[in-house]
Amino acid sequence: MKKNYFKKAVALAGAAAFAIGLAGCAAEEEAVVAPTTGDTAVVAEDLTIAFVMGAESDPFFQAMKLGAEEEAAAQGVTLIWQGDPSNYSPETQIPIVDAVLAQQPDGLVLIPTDPTALQASVAKAVAAGIAVANVDTRVGDLSDVLTFITGDNEDGGAKAAEAIANAIGYTDGETYEVVIGLTSATATTNVARKEGFESTIAANYPGINIVDVAYSESNPEKAATNVNNWLTKYPDLDGIFAIDGTNASGAAAALESKGLVGQVALVGYDAYPDNVAKIEAGIFTALIAQDPAAEARLAIQTLVDYLRNGTAPANAEVVIPNVTLDANTSAADLVKYTYVAN
Amino acid sequence: MKEVIYEVKGVSKRYGSVVALDGASLKLHAGEVVGLVGDNGAGKSTLVKVLSGAHMPDGGQIELDGKQVSWSSPREALDAGIETLYQDSGLAPHLTVSKNVFLGREITKRGLLGKLGFLDSKAMEEKAHSELERVGIAVPASNRSVSQLSGGQRQAVAIGRAVAWARKVIILDEPTNHLGARQAGEVLQVIKEAKKKGLGVIFISHTLPHVLEVTDRIVVLRLGKVVRDAPTSEFTGDTLVGTITGTIQTIPEEDA
Amino acid sequence: MSSSQQPNLRLERFKAVAGNQNSILLSVLIALAIVFTLAEPKFFSVATAGNILTDWGSIVLLAAGQTLVIISGGIDLSVGGTLAISGVTSAWVMSTVLGFDITTSGSDAYPPLLVGGLVAIGTGLLVGLINAILITKLRIVPFVATLSTMGATLGFAIIISNGMPIGGPNDFSLISPINPTWMPLSWAVIGVIIVVTAVGLFLHKSRFGLHTYAIGSNSFAARAAGINVERHLTKVYALAGALAGLAGFYVYLRLGAGSPSSGVMRELDAIAAVVIGGASLMGGIGRMMGTIIGALILFTVQSGLIMAGVAPDWKKVVVAVLIAAAVAAQTLRPQNRAR
Repeated sequence: MKKNYFKKAVALAGAAAFAIGLAGCAAEEEAVVAPTTGDTAVVAEDLTIAFVMGAESDPFFQAMKLGAEEEAAAQGVTLIWQGDPSNYSPETQIPIVDAVLAQQPDGLVLIPTDPTALQASVAKAVAAGIAVANVDTRVGDLSDVLTFITGDNEDGGAKAAEAIANAIGYTDGETYEVVIGLTSATATTNVARKEGFESTIAANYPGINIVDVAYSESNPEKAATNVNNWLTKYPDLDGIFAIDGTNASGAAAALESKGLVGQVALVGYDAYPDNVAKIEAGIFTALIAQDPAAEARLAIQTLVDYLRNGTAPANAEVVIPNVTLDANTSAADLVKYTYVAN
Repeated sequence: MKEVIYEVKGVSKRYGSVVALDGASLKLHAGEVVGLVGDNGAGKSTLVKVLSGAHMPDGGQIELDGKQVSWSSPREALDAGIETLYQDSGLAPHLTVSKNVFLGREITKRGLLGKLGFLDSKAMEEKAHSELERVGIAVPASNRSVSQLSGGQRQAVAIGRAVAWARKVIILDEPTNHLGARQAGEVLQVIKEAKKKGLGVIFISHTLPHVLEVTDRIVVLRLGKVVRDAPTSEFTGDTLVGTITGTIQTIPEEDA
Repeated sequence: MSSSQQPNLRLERFKAVAGNQNSILLSVLIALAIVFTLAEPKFFSVATAGNILTDWGSIVLLAAGQTLVIISGGIDLSVGGTLAISGVTSAWVMSTVLGFDITTSGSDAYPPLLVGGLVAIGTGLLVGLINAILITKLRIVPFVATLSTMGATLGFAIIISNGMPIGGPNDFSLISPINPTWMPLSWAVIGVIIVVTAVGLFLHKSRFGLHTYAIGSNSFAARAAGINVERHLTKVYALAGALAGLAGFYVYLRLGAGSPSSGVMRELDAIAAVVIGGASLMGGIGRMMGTIIGALILFTVQSGLIMAGVAPDWKKVVVAVLIAAAVAAQTLRPQNRAR
């Protein structure tokens, strides 16, 4: 997932804070959404779907929660939304899954924080007759899992490459300088997006040279620092691929303070409201967004179909492509893909 | 004899289940040097802390100039004219001599800067030097950091500071510790000078010859109680040791 | 009692080293600049100076407060979290409460920015006071007390912002070099220099500073001299918190947004700057000028390595070496050997 460094720091510090009982602020949340909308006629039986995600504090999961709540209401099922407040780790997730299974839901949507550590939890759920779906990340062995729905980060990287080439008016025979702002060398989303970006550049835009990469360590100020120094080192820089929300924020700020908005193409990632607003302002050439809400909707839909009608999905693995948001995107789509603000 | 300036009556102090002071009483007259002696754990340090305002006693009374007082912090005792030299830990090693002398009583600049707490370092250096000289202590440059001084020099600064500021009472906890014979002699001379000026001095020491030399009266503590309070002339080295260790039986005197 | 001659020699040597401490740090800074210029000639430029000073602005505010805390014999691990939560509360007030979004720019942004700045400083001050209560009233050691407020501030910053940056009014010209060809300072950095200079003057010239040193040097002696140690430490932690709050506002100006992740690991940068600057984690020793140059060294290394195209992990190695050298220089200093 994103922001591994950040979460570790928060988790460590948070653990200490909780130990002294200071931060009683971030208690685990249990949102039970009762089937309020009565516009579906299919209330055959009262289904309960449990949804155990990675870390409540991550905007990615905030957006996912919104999709899950919408779909649960539309399907007329009860949703149990659970997960650690800020700690993306199997140590905190496994006991949460256990607690949720004790409530005997009919289906479980699980975002495993570790492919091996959560395998036993999946087995335990299936043994108890609970149907399991994976979203975003998966357990190593999918044989017990009804469906696995994920975003395609490599495809997102490829889309970013297309957006950059487009923005700089790529012509064969010319050479261009582009940099990539990363969070860390190992974060899996970073790696996948970078691979997608690089392979698309190599295949379609040989004139674009990726001249440098640097790491923000989840800190937008460091991301801005990286871009500041690049702008000094590469006065003819053509484009920046900011690989996640943090890098996007920092890179946008650096371009603004150097007065280079519009002169250097900036393709960012993650539809934070603040970033989306900067598409309109012309600061972002394009923003690649995941669609966590769609992933959640599809997972609940698939589980409910299976539980009510016994229909298993045609494809066990579903990939939901990332989307490119830019100045041509309709206002409605911008709103749709923006990660929830509150 | 002159009037009593400082007195504790039946003070007690316990730390958890440990009784450090058990109804101890002590009187100090102006111009008098009282020796406070006792074995380790007899309660000397606790009594010093009660006298200097560092600790509040659990019971008993403290009187200054015949009026009952109660110290809730060392600041209050200092302001009342009672100076204390603590064993080995009275100075801040990273600060200069003059800043140590003026710590807690700094001279600030005139005007707005002074209101903001800006210090007049030059005035403090000059005054520290002259004050220390006045009480008979020749100290190296007062802009030197205390950690640069030898053990004897540090002790001299600490004593000089106490004597320079004291208006009524000066409490010296082991002031001759770790000192050579000559330096110890100089400390004893400073004590005699303070006595001449009419200060009351409480002198705590393990070095009994120093106690016998400089004091007018000796108070012996044992297990938190005063077991003997008598003029120094009534003691010899041997009887003093015997009284401290308890090999010589004593009747606690309630009123000396 | 007369002074002996032998310690005088030691004094002279001490004075020579201490007086040169800033020159040693400056020499390190210049040496680094030369090395990086050799590796990447574009490093030697006004633009690079501007980049370094922009980075320096936020950390030196944290480090100035940290200098006070460390001299007093404590540590404040919460300054990074305080930076983050102050930036977030400031942005939240400006955008959500006052209703100014990112389209408010230039001088139109000044009124809300003024409010935002006060909110940030106030938030930092509040965190500092909580630290002070934990340390002086509940008697929790500073390391643990500020570790818990670090967690709480980072957590609250995420809760308030949902983990996303909150954009608001801004004027990026405040944070950009005044003139890109000859003046690398920005107005924001000039403001930081004024604040840090004032804190430095209070540290070295005022009663407040003297008491801070005295407490870190020997808290028993400070108490015996009549200093109210608890009240003084309360002021020290409150000031460190307010400075961290101001740093949060500086980062807001820089990003045009309050970001909950902007404080991550920043406390370590601040502590590194203070230690490289020559302060002792044992308390009683440290100079503001050392901290100021220490922070400059830190960001010279960062910019230099980015521009030289060296893997960022090397920054950690270089900083580690600098810290080790600073600590070694300190233990070898005669002042400390004498004890």
